[in-house]
Amino acid sequence: MNAPDDFTDDTRLTPLRLMIMLFVLTLAGALGWAVCSLPAYSSGLAVTALAELSNSGVLNPVTAAVLNYRGYDTLLEIAVLLLAVIGVWSLAQAEPPAAFEPASPVLLSFLRIVLPLMILIAGYLLWIGSFAPGGAFQGGAVLAGVLVLLRLSNQDRAIWSHEVWLRFCLVLGLSVFIAVAVGVMAGGGKLLEYPRAHAGMLILLIESAALISIALTLAALFVGGRALSDEDSSRASDNGVQPE
Amino acid sequence: MTLWDTAPWLLWSIVLPLSAGILTFLFRRAAPWIGIATTLGSVVSVAGLAAQVVHSGPLRYSVGGWGVPLGIDLRADGLSVLMLVMSAVIGVAVSVYAARYFSDADATDERAVQAHQRAYFWPLWMFLLAGLNGLFLAADIFHLYVTLELLGFAAVSLAALAGKRAAVVAAMRYLLVSLSGSLFFLFGVAILYAAYATVDLTALAGKVQPGPLAWSALALMASGLLIKGAVFPLHFWLPPAHANAPTPVSALLSALVVKASFYILLRLWFELFGAVVTPATATFLGLLGAGAILWGSAQALHQPRLKLLVAYSTVAQLGYLMLVFPLAQNAGSALTAWSACVYFVLAHACAKTAMFLAAGNIAHAAGHDRIADLDGITQALPLSVAAFALAGISLIGLPPSGGFIAKWMLLQAAIGSGKWGWATLILVGSLLAAAYVMRVLWHAFTQVEVARPLHRVPRTMEWSALALSLLAVLLGLMAARPVELLRSGAPVSMHAPGQT
Repeated sequence: MNAPDDFTDDTRLTPLRLMIMLFVLTLAGALGWAVCSLPAYSSGLAVTALAELSNSGVLNPVTAAVLNYRGYDTLLEIAVLLLAVIGVWSLAQAEPPAAFEPASPVLLSFLRIVLPLMILIAGYLLWIGSFAPGGAFQGGAVLAGVLVLLRLSNQDRAIWSHEVWLRFCLVLGLSVFIAVAVGVMAGGGKLLEYPRAHAGMLILLIESAALISIALTLAALFVGGRALSDEDSSRASDNGVQPE
Repeated sequence: MTLWDTAPWLLWSIVLPLSAGILTFLFRRAAPWIGIATTLGSVVSVAGLAAQVVHSGPLRYSVGGWGVPLGIDLRADGLSVLMLVMSAVIGVAVSVYAARYFSDADATDERAVQAHQRAYFWPLWMFLLAGLNGLFLAADIFHLYVTLELLGFAAVSLAALAGKRAAVVAAMRYLLVSLSGSLFFLFGVAILYAAYATVDLTALAGKVQPGPLAWSALALMASGLLIKGAVFPLHFWLPPAHANAPTPVSALLSALVVKASFYILLRLWFELFGAVVTPATATFLGLLGAGAILWGSAQALHQPRLKLLVAYSTVAQLGYLMLVFPLAQNAGSALTAWSACVYFVLAHACAKTAMFLAAGNIAHAAGHDRIADLDGITQALPLSVAAFALAGISLIGLPPSGGFIAKWMLLQAAIGSGKWGWATLILVGSLLAAAYVMRVLWHAFTQVEVARPLHRVPRTMEWSALALSLLAVLLGLMAARPVELLRSGAPVSMHAPGQT
């Protein structure tokens, strides 16, 4: 078990490093060879995807692929995002916020202008996803930016102190996605087989729920630990990682 | 046609654990019950699925109704069903064990159960199960990558759950290994998609031609899977990650998670790259397996700690799985080798879970798991030591255990194709396994006059270990049905790779 302090300026060519170098060179060579023998131009599945676009409920081929053709992949990717938060929360508590420090007035008045605008943009990105580049992931990233700015200006106590609500909002996207995926089977369809007439609505519904969860997920990863108000961890006197 | 016959059972084995992941995250008090109910639910759904596959052969399901090439297909054949049965059965036993393990008030210093472990084990485990089941049903290489990620993140978080420094360091290494493995796999997926414009396994299988593209895709994907599957000499991350995790997690990681990578390798090798692989590459993988058996067993022989011994035993046992590649070269013995290695996966999963749970009980009772200081433990924990011994019987491969049947079929395949070297290796590996199992039992069965003070072990924890070890032994007596089921959709009966 190497101590984590072996990041030194040591540049000697040890046998291990030589092996790694050879390995990386071989890999680069193999990849280069493979890429050179690829067909010069391949449209992949773009033609098929565009041909089916009118049946997908949206006009943007990327949204169609993400939420409809390969919606099942996205369902599991939303689960991966939730899992990432659960994993981080299982490791440690968030740093307790520094003793309340009023943010600078300049920052605060800047935030007053920019935050409402960002929320608007997030909603807009969500909406245009159905016919132009955009969608829940892009909108969620902008909304997460709002939460990060609130964090940096120490204005976000209200958000992170309601641990139970936080958990409900984090699972919202995945829950709605699963509910829709299974719900459409009631009409005799397959998993995630939206009825043609309602596909656009259902995709927007999933994306709206996912937007909230994605934004909170990214912000929670920025905060980097479970909330201090977590009832179970406040009872235990642990800090996650414990020295042996 | 009743509802039982037509219900889409394969979906429930994915949707149930996914929903349970959400519910156990939201409702912590009820989490153990939700977890146990979910694993029981997956037993029911896999039973329904098995009935469908037995009745009408392999089945496919187009998610979203799009079908190949645009949409994602799921498929279930004999191999998928057996893997799902494995994850469901192991899942029930580990859930029952974990419900008691994480709520035990009588915690020792060795495994002080903290509130956060209790709260986070269940959602992580449910997502792990969803990832596993999704992976076993995937018929699409990009979807395989997504399930690998779900599985990998859940596994890493679980490995870190103990919270001790050693566990977090091991989990960090596991994370890096797991991510680079997935990345290699994704490289391969990208090459195949760029070359053949589809990601469906079956559609690709008809298109892949030998050439630099297929070779580099195979090499990248196989190396990613070999490192994720801890195949010698890429096993370095496994023993610390598995040995430092909480007991139920060690069992899940060793019994199920490493098998997922092997499962994908098996699919790729025999279905996707059937026309690309050469006898030399098969022998190379077999040699890696040989290295794993010898090195893993030798390491297990001199580990001072019980959980590390069990973890090194996993390294060794994974080596046997690699023998399928050289042994399936010969068309006559291909099906035997294929069945043997899948049966080996099942037997090892039961035996290794039982062994880790028993080792956890022993460590719980004694407050440590130093093998040399375990004398007299049998007097206090007869059930757990019995579970360890029975699991050992299957690992060694003594009749009538599942391990015996698997090794017997491997030997048949080796001798049938005149490959005496591999046959000798299997026998030597068994002797080494016997040596490291006996080493533990030797200490455990030493009688002591004055019993050391021991912690009480809850009865559920003892019985779940014993139940699985009995299953590992009895697997040998009920091999006919699973081996029959395996023929459903088996890719080896038609042709042997490398000889076409």
